[in-house]
Amino acid sequence: MNEQEANFEALGRLLALKRHEVPPPGYFNNFSTQVITQIRLGETAKDDGPFGRLFVEAPWLLKFIRVFEAKPAYAGAFASVLFLLLVAGIVYSNNPDVATETFVPAASASTSSSGSASLAAVNTGFLDQSMPQTSGLVSSTNPVLSLEPSSSPFGGQNPLLQPVGFTR
Amino acid sequence: MADPIEPVEPNAASETKEEVREEVLVRRARRGDLKAYDELVKRYQERIYATVYHMTSNHEDANDLAQESFIKAFQALSSFKGGSSFYTWLYRIAVNKTINFLKQRKNRLHMSLNDLDFNAEHDPDLMALISHKTPQRDAGLSELQEKLNAALMKLSEPHRIVVVLHDVQGQSHEDIAKVMDCNIGTVRSRLFYARQQLQSELADYLK
Repeated sequence: MNEQEANFEALGRLLALKRHEVPPPGYFNNFSTQVITQIRLGETAKDDGPFGRLFVEAPWLLKFIRVFEAKPAYAGAFASVLFLLLVAGIVYSNNPDVATETFVPAASASTSSSGSASLAAVNTGFLDQSMPQTSGLVSSTNPVLSLEPSSSPFGGQNPLLQPVGFTR
Repeated sequence: MADPIEPVEPNAASETKEEVREEVLVRRARRGDLKAYDELVKRYQERIYATVYHMTSNHEDANDLAQESFIKAFQALSSFKGGSSFYTWLYRIAVNKTINFLKQRKNRLHMSLNDLDFNAEHDPDLMALISHKTPQRDAGLSELQEKLNAALMKLSEPHRIVVVLHDVQGQSHEDIAKVMDCNIGTVRSRLFYARQQLQSELADYLK
């Protein structure tokens, strides 16, 4: 027991070293001013940083960020997913027709032969502007091409375009 | 407009007047008097900072947490009933805030230690620890400081806070029990266990 107490005394002397650890000179000169300034500015928590109001209005966002702080692997996974989505979006926006062409034949293959013919017509129809559009339906996948006035077979006027007057 | 802060009486019969004055300051701060609260901050800033720093072993974290503790205390002043001293109440806020912080970032703690003051090099007890008792190692004070902080960080938060408050800051078991909201027996047993752990971690320096 005495040995242990002696060891505790030695430990106490060692722990005294902690009392010699001091912050940079002048650190406390502005400490209270900073606290009062933050109170005045209504900065409720330093964690909030510049997005303080946003975090107050959407506390779930703060929790979300804290999860990332606690587990950086989650942040990495989330960033990877975002990056992949971004790349996919860029690729898709550069080649929208490629995606359509690959999709439609796959769909037509699964339908009946008559259905295949009509789908094929639609597939080529919105590209072939000389084909009459009697039904008035236009593929929603390519509305801009089908509204070109010069390509209409009715004397230069497109039946889908009707003049609108704003006067009574 | 806030009232001016009452001048401090230099020869005040110490503690009683000190307490009264604290009450006055707290009452004024509760009414929104920031000058009074500024006085309270100045009074306790060093002790609160030191406690948080010794708990985190990181100056930047200690700075943030100490400031947040004072801000939170100001915002919660209306809930301060006066059952304990303002200082004990403030301490409790700082300790709880620090413990929550440490739990949140348990896996990525890093030390950012303050420099040792000039007196450390002239402390005979410390010099004895690094020269006479450990002649086989070329241990300097800064190395000893790192080892000591690393050993402290291995303790659990409740054990660390007891060691910091008692052995580093010299608080009594009773005061620590008030701050930690537990009984004195718990404080004693935590202190004993924490010291044992530290002894085994720092055995090389204690032989």
